[in-house]
Amino acid sequence: MQIVCISRGSYDYSKTLAEKLAGKLGCACISREMITDTATDFGIPVGRLEVAVLKNRPITEGMAIEVDLFKAFVTTYLCERALNESLVYHGRTGHLVLPGLSHVLRVRAIAEMDARVKNSAERMNISWEKAKQYNVQVDEDIRRWVRRLYNVDWDDPSLYDMTISASHLSEENAAAILMNMAQMPEFTITPASRQALQDLLLAARCRLAIGMETGTQDLKVSVQARKGEVSVTYPPQEERRAKEIPRILGQVPGMQSLVCTVASSNILYVAETFQAESPEFTHLVEIAEKWNAAVDVVHLSSEAAPEAEPESAAPLLAAKSAGDGGILDDRDAGQAQRIKKEGVPEVMDKLIQAGRAGKLRNIGGGPAGLVTQIPKTESYNLIVVGEVFAEKKLSKQRLKRDFLSLLADKFRVPVLGTEDLKSQYLFGPRQLVSLIGSLALAIVIYALAFTNQEPVMKFMAAGQTHGSFGAKVAATVFVLAFTPIVAFTVGAFYKNLLKLLKIE
Amino acid sequence: MSELVGGLFIHMSWSVALQVALLGMIGGILSGFIGSGGAFFMTPGMMNLGVMGPMAVASNITHKFGKAMVGSKKHGEMGNVDKKLSIIMLITAAVGIRLAVWVMKLLFAGAGDGHGGAKGAGANLYISLVFVIILAVVSLSMLRDIVSSRKKEETGPSTKIVDFLARLKLPPTIYFPVADVNVSLWVVLICGLATGYLAGTIGVGGFIGVPAMIYVFGVPAAVAAGSELYLAMFMGLWGALNYAWEGMVDIRLTMILYSGSLLGVYLGAYGTKVVKEVVIRAVTSIIIILCVLSRMVATPAYLQQLGLINTDPAWNTWFNLASKILLYVSGTTGALLILFFVLRAYWKRRKIEASLTLGR
Repeated sequence: MQIVCISRGSYDYSKTLAEKLAGKLGCACISREMITDTATDFGIPVGRLEVAVLKNRPITEGMAIEVDLFKAFVTTYLCERALNESLVYHGRTGHLVLPGLSHVLRVRAIAEMDARVKNSAERMNISWEKAKQYNVQVDEDIRRWVRRLYNVDWDDPSLYDMTISASHLSEENAAAILMNMAQMPEFTITPASRQALQDLLLAARCRLAIGMETGTQDLKVSVQARKGEVSVTYPPQEERRAKEIPRILGQVPGMQSLVCTVASSNILYVAETFQAESPEFTHLVEIAEKWNAAVDVVHLSSEAAPEAEPESAAPLLAAKSAGDGGILDDRDAGQAQRIKKEGVPEVMDKLIQAGRAGKLRNIGGGPAGLVTQIPKTESYNLIVVGEVFAEKKLSKQRLKRDFLSLLADKFRVPVLGTEDLKSQYLFGPRQLVSLIGSLALAIVIYALAFTNQEPVMKFMAAGQTHGSFGAKVAATVFVLAFTPIVAFTVGAFYKNLLKLLKIE
Repeated sequence: MSELVGGLFIHMSWSVALQVALLGMIGGILSGFIGSGGAFFMTPGMMNLGVMGPMAVASNITHKFGKAMVGSKKHGEMGNVDKKLSIIMLITAAVGIRLAVWVMKLLFAGAGDGHGGAKGAGANLYISLVFVIILAVVSLSMLRDIVSSRKKEETGPSTKIVDFLARLKLPPTIYFPVADVNVSLWVVLICGLATGYLAGTIGVGGFIGVPAMIYVFGVPAAVAAGSELYLAMFMGLWGALNYAWEGMVDIRLTMILYSGSLLGVYLGAYGTKVVKEVVIRAVTSIIIILCVLSRMVATPAYLQQLGLINTDPAWNTWFNLASKILLYVSGTTGALLILFFVLRAYWKRRKIEASLTLGR
């Protein structure tokens, strides 16, 4: 069974291409319009979302939840079909609607602007200029939609397996090429990718179930699933309503267990090997507790893996579900042995005990694999990198530093090595010195200023008392230099004090 | 009670210093919680303690300079700052501040000279009137927003202005990459001017800058808050420079404000993580309305000092007292409410555990 997703613009070429390809593969051709109509009938205000995004209106909390529900609806719709048959989907975000599935062929169809303008002018019976303006506007709208919903660039070539240009290939020939490509082993469903598809469907169904229940429809949650094990995170202020989640998800077919974690923020913890007893990991748990954060763990493997598999925390603890098939069992047994050796179960166990467990993922291809396989759309407050590049003894430190800056560029959030966690976010000797130092400096500054109020204020009032030009300059320079010193000194004192009291 | 430099600056007793620190703390909590402002509480609060309006504004804008520097550094790390937008707004914001300082200087010099009024009464009245008008509009709009957002069909902040300006297409338009919006340069410059003028007049530029970015430019709320803080740092710098040049900055007030506000900012920011958005907006608008009432109550005293109304000067003490009580009640109630949320969340955090349901 094949899944081909075509990302298209405003032109007819892609639609025809998708239909021809579906005809050749003998499968269903699903358009974005079909799904949005069904979603609207289902009760998701897709039209309102489109207007808000395309008119660049700010996304409110309520709308962010509607976006979540829409994405879950699209995933459910496509996954339900894709589990039983091949399909071709075409829409503006075709390449993004089924994330994390290795066997999906993602195609971008493009056409030269002149050809599109000619087509639009003829189709809509408008002038060349107006048709050009229309096409430019449509492209801009799609870019905005993609950026708002998925936080990626529509034109980023790394998100596509192939780009087809209407100027060089007829629809017929392009469909023939895609048909051959879709039948290659890389794009054929495997037991593992079927499992990933089922997980994606289960998570989407759970998200929809929470969003469609009257009492929890505006609850901000994040849902992940792996082999029937569902992991839900929700913000602390929703604690009371979140108690309904187990009851609601009890009706979702396919769910075997549930982990609910209260989290106001998310931390991504990445490493090749883990040590649950190490002080660095203890620091990470301490920070997660302090921030009410869920910790997503990414286990990096140097072996090239076919795909990133989303996993929840529970499977490592719970008994394996039945019905995986022999191939999957063997693969899992090998993988389970490896992750056990590298300390993953202990780490997850500790996170669950602390109530801070997010999801677990195994990613092949080492650190480079992480950069390509974790989408930019995932939102984290902090990324923490543990033991990586272990085999590169001499260049390990430099490679890790480069890796940290690569992650910071991609996710635009603070990225730290585990060794720096304590000095940055916890109270230690360095913070104690800073606390005492800033307090001492503040006392000296305040004492000097307040025991000499009269001369200080005379000096400051040069502009009011017809002071000389030099006196006015001196007073002005003093204010501009002195104010930040006081602000940073007092700020450093309070920052460390609150760190000591664990209020951050 | 002796006064410094010919009565320009107040005598700083322990009691006054403690009250200023408290103002700073409450202002800081509100500022950290609401995301902007705090000055709407601190400026009139200092005026109620006997600080002349221009000195209160000058000390507060200088305080804002350092505070925004600390805050924008943090926002920058989170990718919430559109530097291009802030810098373009800054061009006219600087002009606005300079204009505000000039107007203030004229009013400050003009009053109390032969009309029987106290020195600074004209400036005080002017600041109070601008304060009342602007903040009444802001708070009532916020309340209306809360009421309308309770209806299911509401899509968030109104974008009528954004849509209207988009249709106008006033060239040249500029693309702001972090905020992801295209806005006419003229619109940005006009909003910058208004933001700067209000920051220079009442020290509350954020209440214009942030809504302008959201409602007029269509910028996402987080980027609006971060970019405004970045802009506020430069506006604070420029405002401090101008007021310091005119000899109006009371550096003692600035220092005492820091001692309370920086603690308050951290506590208020923590509060935003644990309180629902609608509660944040409701608390904010009620506090602002009470601050507006407080300034309205103080206005007759300034009118009397300028000879514009004929009331018994003895009543001024009562007007001032009533204004002071209203301000403290509003700020303290708001800050206590926020502190309550913060502490409740702090204790609750230790009780909440993950719930694990296995074996369905």
